[in-house]
Amino acid sequence: MPQVLSAKERSLFQTVVRNYEDKQYKKGIKAADQILKKNAKHGDTLAMKALIMNSQGKTEEAFALAKVALQCDMKSHVCWHVYGLLWRAVKNFEEAIKAYKFALRLEPESAQIQRDLALLQIQMRDYQGYIVSRKSMLQSRSHIRQNWTALAVAHHLNGELAEAEGVLTTYEETLKNPPSKTDFENSEAVMYKNSLIAEQGDYQKALDHLESAGKHNLDRLAILELRATYLTKLGKKEEATKAYRALIERNSEYKKYYDGLVEAMAIDAADHKALKAVYDEYAEKYPRNDAARRLPLDFLDGDDFRETADKYIHRMLDKGVPSTFANLKHLYSSSFKRETLPSLVQQYINSGKSEANEEPKRNGDTSKGASSAYYFLAQHYSYYLSRDLDKALEYIEKAIDLEPQSVDFHMTKARIWKHYGDSHKASEIMEQARTLDNRDRHINTKAAKYQLRNNENEAAIKTMGMFTRAETVGGPLADLHDMQCVWFLTEDGQSYARQGKVGLALKRFMSIYNIFDVWQEDQFDFHSFSLRKGQIRAYVDMIRWEDKLREHPFYTRAALSAVDLYLKLHDKPLANGTNGAADGDEDASERKKAAKKARKEAQKAEREALARKNEPNKATKEGDSDPKKKDDDPDGAKLAATTEPMTDAMKFLTPLLQFSPNSIDAQIAGFEVYIRRKKYLLALRCLLAASALDNEHSKVHSQTIRFKLALDKDLATLPPKVAEIIKSEFTLLPESVSLTQFNNDYLSKYEDCARRTLSGLSARKLLAHDLAPSTDADVVKVLKIDNVAMEEAVEGLELLQSWKSGALEAFRKAAAAKWPNATVFAASS
Amino acid sequence: MAEAQPPTVVEGATTGDIEDEVPIAKSAEDRKAQAALSSLDAPRDDDSSTTKDVDQDAVRKAMDRIAGKGAANGVLTKKEDETKVAVKKNVKVDQADVALLVEELELNKIKSTDLLKAYEGDVTQALKAYVTRVV
Repeated sequence: MPQVLSAKERSLFQTVVRNYEDKQYKKGIKAADQILKKNAKHGDTLAMKALIMNSQGKTEEAFALAKVALQCDMKSHVCWHVYGLLWRAVKNFEEAIKAYKFALRLEPESAQIQRDLALLQIQMRDYQGYIVSRKSMLQSRSHIRQNWTALAVAHHLNGELAEAEGVLTTYEETLKNPPSKTDFENSEAVMYKNSLIAEQGDYQKALDHLESAGKHNLDRLAILELRATYLTKLGKKEEATKAYRALIERNSEYKKYYDGLVEAMAIDAADHKALKAVYDEYAEKYPRNDAARRLPLDFLDGDDFRETADKYIHRMLDKGVPSTFANLKHLYSSSFKRETLPSLVQQYINSGKSEANEEPKRNGDTSKGASSAYYFLAQHYSYYLSRDLDKALEYIEKAIDLEPQSVDFHMTKARIWKHYGDSHKASEIMEQARTLDNRDRHINTKAAKYQLRNNENEAAIKTMGMFTRAETVGGPLADLHDMQCVWFLTEDGQSYARQGKVGLALKRFMSIYNIFDVWQEDQFDFHSFSLRKGQIRAYVDMIRWEDKLREHPFYTRAALSAVDLYLKLHDKPLANGTNGAADGDEDASERKKAAKKARKEAQKAEREALARKNEPNKATKEGDSDPKKKDDDPDGAKLAATTEPMTDAMKFLTPLLQFSPNSIDAQIAGFEVYIRRKKYLLALRCLLAASALDNEHSKVHSQTIRFKLALDKDLATLPPKVAEIIKSEFTLLPESVSLTQFNNDYLSKYEDCARRTLSGLSARKLLAHDLAPSTDADVVKVLKIDNVAMEEAVEGLELLQSWKSGALEAFRKAAAAKWPNATVFAASS
Repeated sequence: MAEAQPPTVVEGATTGDIEDEVPIAKSAEDRKAQAALSSLDAPRDDDSSTTKDVDQDAVRKAMDRIAGKGAANGVLTKKEDETKVAVKKNVKVDQADVALLVEELELNKIKSTDLLKAYEGDVTQALKAYVTRVV
């Protein structure tokens, strides 16, 4: 039987609650202890104490105490609710839901518990449960609009569109007076309802609803856009045309409107003349408009293209618009356009100088024409589809001669050096560009990125520090973490990975992983916030975005890098510390230096901590007192010291395969992990997926051979059912041909492709060890293949490195002769 | 006693908890935004302006309808669930097969069982489908 408190203690208990709310944790604990002195087994008090302890960071003790509380008073909803809150705090939402449900059973009337439960259900995407919760919340408070809307959202997310619409309609019918025109919540709800109707595919109804209920809606733009869409879908040509014209009047630079207009007018895609006329009309109407002049370049061809492009280029270069090339480079997929554009610019240069003085209509400053034209050509020759770096360098120097202070020009110069493979020089020039404008954040980040590419991590963080918040504890790096600066963390991690500093690299990639976790959790607040604000359309969009959050390229990139590091750790566990050079060529003195430095840093941190302790009055940041925030592994030593790198890799790999199944790199990485873990079915799954995506991919070939080799060894040990499946589904190899023959065929078939040749050679190494010297020599010969790209040569270098081949030096020399500027091939000093 | 609790007990608990839950955003701006967020918390519940325009009778009727519909729905979905379960129940799944799937495909037990049931308990078909990504 639960203990009963006296009146005095009851008020004391309320003090505990208030103390908790006000975050006066110490006072709260004191008051709770006072109650417990007389009533040692009072469940609610114990629970509240546990809750307060949890807020103080003592999670384990809090859980233990909460369990005691439950033993004392199984029938108390407070105890169960606290138990749920504790689970929620450690992000175990499933357990939290269970606890809340218990609490709710004991206290069905508690709106608060119900609300917390509902929030968790939607966070966990338990739509069925969410509908039930929302229904009961509506029943208890049916006069509040957001409860109705919430139920509609619940149905909507569960795929019951008609139900959702019905709920909204029911609410509307209960209103005595129509809501005022300025009622934002109503305005948004109407639009939400409209989107529900449209999602059901009934465009006529959606249009009617839009024209009646949406007449005075506050979101004018959405109304106009939706109306145009619906009209087009319904085939009402004239009205749709009018609607799109109205939209272009509002914003004449938006491509989507032009596309819509063309679609509404039902112009044949081949009728370039008619299409062009549409754009010309607006180009004439708006003399400063860009879109109407540029967009026709997408579809025009031949002389029409030349003429239009010439006009466009003249206009842009005269004004000295720096983004001219960026505006046009998407046209380079067509070889005709790729050749026409630079020739037009060349003509412009040839004629420009004389015209600049004579032509009066080019009023204003035309002095920028020449330099922008050179700038365009420099970018043209730096672009990967039309690369000729020597020419690019020539043009950018001309441009810089004309405008020595241009940040853009220096930036492009740095990029050209990057394409040469000279990361050192690239970083130097980017830094030079940065000093031309110290207050430009864009060039600042560029400079930092180039420093990272050149493995200057310290310098990069210093560069970034010019723009991070100065007062952040932990310096710029901590601020970049706080600000979730994913690009920096990725580049920093990849830089450390190149240097063999596995721990630090893993640390960065783990940070990115965690940032995605935070983004996942961030939605929690919006389940209630968006409803309160009435912004339902944006909320539904956000929920759908969250559902596929990890398909973002940021995640893919970091995850692939992390998996790669773990693979290397698996194949060759680190011998010499966690952040030493992987090849072990770091000499002892340098290691000593590093150790000394680390010691110094640790001492410094200690001193700082001490200083903070000694100054308790100094306003410390919340983060400081929070023990969770302290990083006990700043260099990622623990991460790199893992004994199960493949298990750790799964953490990154699983979401990768789930959300980016169409990324061939993901499937290839998946194969590498699974085959090492001897999960042959899953390895086969990745291999089949990769082969379906791109049968010609070089890695698919070598992985096929490796899979077969692994099977030859292990097939007998597999469960018979598994072996059977593998036999029936692994059909990538021809039946009658031997592996060696298969590989040789591949090698001769792709003798013109460096990357595929490397793949075949790596397979040959596995198939026949006795051929090793000749295989190594063949890798060096890859450099003689025409069109071999620098990236492919780097892969060859890495391959030889992994073999510890004697041919490495020969390869390096040959590559260095071919790419004299590339830092990767330079002789190590 | 449980009844003696003011309703605010848990309310406060929740707000505090939300604060704790977002430990990453710790710059001053973020904290400000967070504070703004939580100060917005739930004042609307007592917003009477919405109540004025609502026809209470109509609401009651509407609620009855929703409840009725909801109940009917609940029953309906339940029925569907039942039939689903019934179908599933008809399929006998060998626990050894489940274990095989858990081991080889690294699915959890529930998913493995569902996968097997979808293929009438035929472990070969289930494995094959998974490997060739039909599932």
